[in-house]
Amino acid sequence: MITIEDLKRYEIFAEMDLTELKLLSAMAEERQAREGEELIRAGSPAQTLYILQEGGLMITFPGGRAITLHKPGRVVGWSALVSPTQYTASVTCLTDSTLIAFPGSELLRLVQRNVVFGTKIMRKISEVLSRRLPFLQDKDKRLLKQRS
Amino acid sequence: MTGFSAISAGNGWLISALGISVVFFGLASLAFIISFLPRAIGWWNEHGQTPKYFFPLVKSLFAQRRTKTARFTEARGIHEPGEIDDVEESLRLITAHTGEPFKLPRLIEMAEQRGLARVHSTINRLLVRGTIIGGDDGLFRWAKGSEKEIPGESKS
Repeated sequence: MITIEDLKRYEIFAEMDLTELKLLSAMAEERQAREGEELIRAGSPAQTLYILQEGGLMITFPGGRAITLHKPGRVVGWSALVSPTQYTASVTCLTDSTLIAFPGSELLRLVQRNVVFGTKIMRKISEVLSRRLPFLQDKDKRLLKQRS
Repeated sequence: MTGFSAISAGNGWLISALGISVVFFGLASLAFIISFLPRAIGWWNEHGQTPKYFFPLVKSLFAQRRTKTARFTEARGIHEPGEIDDVEESLRLITAHTGEPFKLPRLIEMAEQRGLARVHSTINRLLVRGTIIGGDDGLFRWAKGSEKEIPGESKS
């Protein structure tokens, strides 16, 4: 079970108040993944957003370029919150990893119902996105531009 | 004179013992040479074009053998002793062919095709240790000596 204290540790939730953290904690689940496991496949429906708790991840973009994540609190699977909710990159575990999983549909519902919460979380997601934008394919960039 | 007394009289026992010893040492020497063959072939593939380095290579053969024996005494983590260094060596060989900077997923794919064990976690360890460095362009390269102290993730 993921507690409010667990969530508070991560930068992405730093601006959340207690009520928002409670809602997030209720929908969060711990997910264990094995070394070499493909957590996310590019092109598949984006159903889950993950926060890295422990381990190492490799994000592979179309074309074979990649970035690696090792620090707790890193976000993968932001596509679950952005239409057309389709993953734009693949994520593979470099080690046995522990992640916090948020169901995309529930999180999206929360974003749509609560404007303040939605603004906070989408601001964080856009920060992640801006760092990964150079790796995205042109069609994905165009799509994101249209949405904004 | 016949039988054992004839053997003794003709130094038969001594000759037999000498024969057994010659065969034993011959086979032992052959086994020793064969045990070095895989390493020798590996060297030939790597350094075959530079014969002037032959003697330093022979020296390094014995040096490497000692190092590997030592590695077996210090087991770390869940990897087999010396396994990471072996995989690292193989990864360096692969990138020597493909060139730098390299695409990390492609390197993993090629390493797995060659049957290397625990490629993902070895690469993770090399990244954390700063032996492999990720660039802002999504490509990776091996750290030079002075860069090795800068560990961490490529980009987030």
